[in-house]
Amino acid sequence: MSAIVTIKDVVKEYSLGTTVVQALRGVSLVVDKGEFLSIAGPSGSGKTTLLNLLGCVDTATRGLVEVAGKDTAKLTERELTNLRLNTIGFIFQSFNLVSVLTVFQNVEFPLLLQNTLSAGERKARVTSLLEQVGLATHLKHRPNELSGGQRQRVAIARALVTDPMIVLADEPTANLDSATGQQILDLMRSLNQSKGTTFIFSTHDHKVMRYANAVVRLADGKVIGREKPEEAVAHAIGELSAPVEALPS
Amino acid sequence: MISRLNLLVQIAVRNLLASTVNLLIGGLILFGTLFFVVIGSLLDSLNQSMARSVIGSVAGNIQIYSSASRDDLSLFGGMGGDPDLAAVNDFPKLKAELEAIDNVKTVVPMGNSGALITAGNIVDVTLERIRNLVRSGEGASVDQALNALSSTERKARLDSEIAHLRQIIAVLEGDAKKARAILSETAVEPEALAALEKVSTDAFWQQFDDKPYDALEFLENRIAPQVTDAQMLFIRYVGTDLDAFQRSFDRMEVVDGQPVPPGQRGFLIAKFLYEDQLKLKNARRLDKLHDAVAVGRKIADDDELKRFVRENRSQTRDIVLQLDGLQTKVFVEKLQKFLGSSEKELPTLLTSFFETTDANLEARYGFFYRELAPLLQLYRVRVGDTLTIKAFTRSGSIQSVNVKVYGTFAFKGLEKSPLAGATSLMDLMSFRDLYGYLTVDKKEELAELQKSTGAKAVDREHAEDQLFGDDGATVVAEATPGVIQEDAQLTGMGRKLRQEDLLKRVYTPAEINQGVVLNAAVMLKDGAKLDQTLAAINALSEQKKLGLKAVSWQTAAGMLGQIITVLRWVLLFSVGFIFLIAMVIINNAMMMATLQRAQMIGTLRAIGAQKSTVLGMVLIESLVLGVLFGGVGMLLGSAIVAALHSHGIAAPNDVAYFFFSGPRLLPDASAASLAVAIGLILFVTVVSTIIPAVLATRVSPLRAMQADE
Repeated sequence: MSAIVTIKDVVKEYSLGTTVVQALRGVSLVVDKGEFLSIAGPSGSGKTTLLNLLGCVDTATRGLVEVAGKDTAKLTERELTNLRLNTIGFIFQSFNLVSVLTVFQNVEFPLLLQNTLSAGERKARVTSLLEQVGLATHLKHRPNELSGGQRQRVAIARALVTDPMIVLADEPTANLDSATGQQILDLMRSLNQSKGTTFIFSTHDHKVMRYANAVVRLADGKVIGREKPEEAVAHAIGELSAPVEALPS
Repeated sequence: MISRLNLLVQIAVRNLLASTVNLLIGGLILFGTLFFVVIGSLLDSLNQSMARSVIGSVAGNIQIYSSASRDDLSLFGGMGGDPDLAAVNDFPKLKAELEAIDNVKTVVPMGNSGALITAGNIVDVTLERIRNLVRSGEGASVDQALNALSSTERKARLDSEIAHLRQIIAVLEGDAKKARAILSETAVEPEALAALEKVSTDAFWQQFDDKPYDALEFLENRIAPQVTDAQMLFIRYVGTDLDAFQRSFDRMEVVDGQPVPPGQRGFLIAKFLYEDQLKLKNARRLDKLHDAVAVGRKIADDDELKRFVRENRSQTRDIVLQLDGLQTKVFVEKLQKFLGSSEKELPTLLTSFFETTDANLEARYGFFYRELAPLLQLYRVRVGDTLTIKAFTRSGSIQSVNVKVYGTFAFKGLEKSPLAGATSLMDLMSFRDLYGYLTVDKKEELAELQKSTGAKAVDREHAEDQLFGDDGATVVAEATPGVIQEDAQLTGMGRKLRQEDLLKRVYTPAEINQGVVLNAAVMLKDGAKLDQTLAAINALSEQKKLGLKAVSWQTAAGMLGQIITVLRWVLLFSVGFIFLIAMVIINNAMMMATLQRAQMIGTLRAIGAQKSTVLGMVLIESLVLGVLFGGVGMLLGSAIVAALHSHGIAAPNDVAYFFFSGPRLLPDASAASLAVAIGLILFVTVVSTIIPAVLATRVSPLRAMQADE
């Protein structure tokens, strides 16, 4: 399998007043096409920072970030935006739908930005995707008329509408109940399998990790291992239970 | 592209409706636009109406005058009297040059000035009639018709005139005695009172038959000066080529009488001035009361109308003085019958008659014009009279000319305007005489004098030698003391130039044009091309050294022309103020909205929207706000203007007639004011959104990743 994302020795520093905080400390990672990869780790481990670099919404302080064969450090802001538009789909923890637009319009928006398809083609593509996520009957609804799960499905449709190589999902189930979260993960995995789209999602939930092909575990801004889901889950449970056991009885 | 724009507009519209602040901003824009369209249209219409009034009454589209003038031209007079204008000497050449310019229809020569007219007081006029009757008894009156009267007829007319005079004397004596009683012993000179007492005795009039000329002299010297009713009136006039004026100013129409025959000297009095200044005051006030009541004003609760009634009751002297004994008797009888009164004194009856109320005004107005007016001289100057007009010449001396009044005139739609009706019209020849310029007649007179006396022109350099040298210059005439026998001594051209001949003389157009004018009205074929034509005239003057200055009607109208400009500034200031507030609020609201929507904007950036898309989104939002509410404001404003147009705005007073160019102003929403309104809306919304829009483009796509707080 060929690599779609390559990260090598990446450091990301933030300035907080006079202090410099290192969010990532020399991370290296290769993601192949068609992977269903989870980035796991506790809060503050650097999951979102890594996702931001992969999603080209942020740039590394040092090190190489290569997405779809392009070194993001060498791209202008305009080129980065185009890379995001054409190569990457985003699914956000809080869904981030445009509240004043309908379900259909939200999903259609990236296609309008691309400006390559006719109105008819756009309509066909949006409708078909919304059918796949089970919202064919909600085209004209506004986001505030939908449940959390439905909103996230709209977000998934929006992320996939441009047929991106990579879909990045930041804690996609964090704001959903477990049953809905499970449905969303099922949907993502089936789309990964049917379309071959690479999915990279961050989570700290071990139940979510189980869905991944592989789990990259982060701690304190470093990759501490790339594991199979069950190993990662075991580690995660261990990490989670340790502080509990340490509590005085 | 269109779909994307469509989507951005949808986002904008929905965002707008989601916030009450936007509705407030929209309301401001709506009100500002509505205000601008309505007031702007009113001002535009006022401007156009006033342009029609000024252009159509005296100015023409463009006025030209000599660039050597000390003052700027001001057609309606300025603060310091008439402007000091240098003369334009070669008018025919100038006219030919200007009429060769494409858009120039015609050029009408002019000279604006003011003068005094006198019509003699009532005693003078009556005494003149008596003198003529007396002279006709000797067959010596200039009026042949009087000479032909039978002695019985002459006696009857003389008795009537004397009765009239005695009536006047009785009134004057009464006035004098009242003045002494009310004021003081010295309020009336004892000699004046003694003279009045003398002429009111029967003895005086018995002597009249024996020595009529002595009696007349006494009356002329001692009684006539006591009548102080002002028979002197200051008028403004335009000296012009009357034919050209009538052809060019097509709103002008002759109301009474007839136009001045082509090429002749003559005077046309402005109808408004004729009514307002020359009409018998009581009749004029009755007219005003009648007009006011006709438009719904009530005497009972209108201070001005009450004043008219009060003045009519107290000022009946003008009527009483006009009537002779017989007429007085008729008046008394008619008024007694109409009022159901047994009062015998005419002044008391007139005072009762003029006690007009809302209830009796129409009946009394009708009675006055039906029964009383035919016996009165309603106007101090009548059509057909010859007026003596006096004015200061440029050198400061007083010059007077006699001109015949051919009629009165008004400008259609401006009949009630004091401004348009303040200027009368005079022929150009009389104007040149009055103003002290050489006319064709004077030129001829000089030539004739030169010929008959053998005088020759002497230049300055050789004057001394030629006049006082001993080269045997011949004496051509010697001055002798004696009485001037006018008829015998005036010969040749000089005799021809006597006033009565001048009045009848017909001048050719070349003679009228030849000579001095002060300014000229340039009438254009297309008034909209005023600026271009103005530039063309000024360029031509420069190129051909014509020494002209051309100004628009607006400039020529002086302060009057600036009124609309001032009002327009006030409007722009007010609208500017409203829009400034709108700009500040829009700016703040959009800043807040941008900050509140940072995550949404970040999301759009994350999923691939360029900065330009975000900038467009924010700008479109403002534009939609402006266009939506501004558009509604424009529509509402246009609807209000259309409603005003269909009803018309009635001129609230006589002065407004000039500004409205008629009794009603019919405002139109002009394309120009709508275009300016659109421009203003776009300017306000775009400028006030620039900062928030730039701020929005700086929102990082990272904001999308941050959890919604």
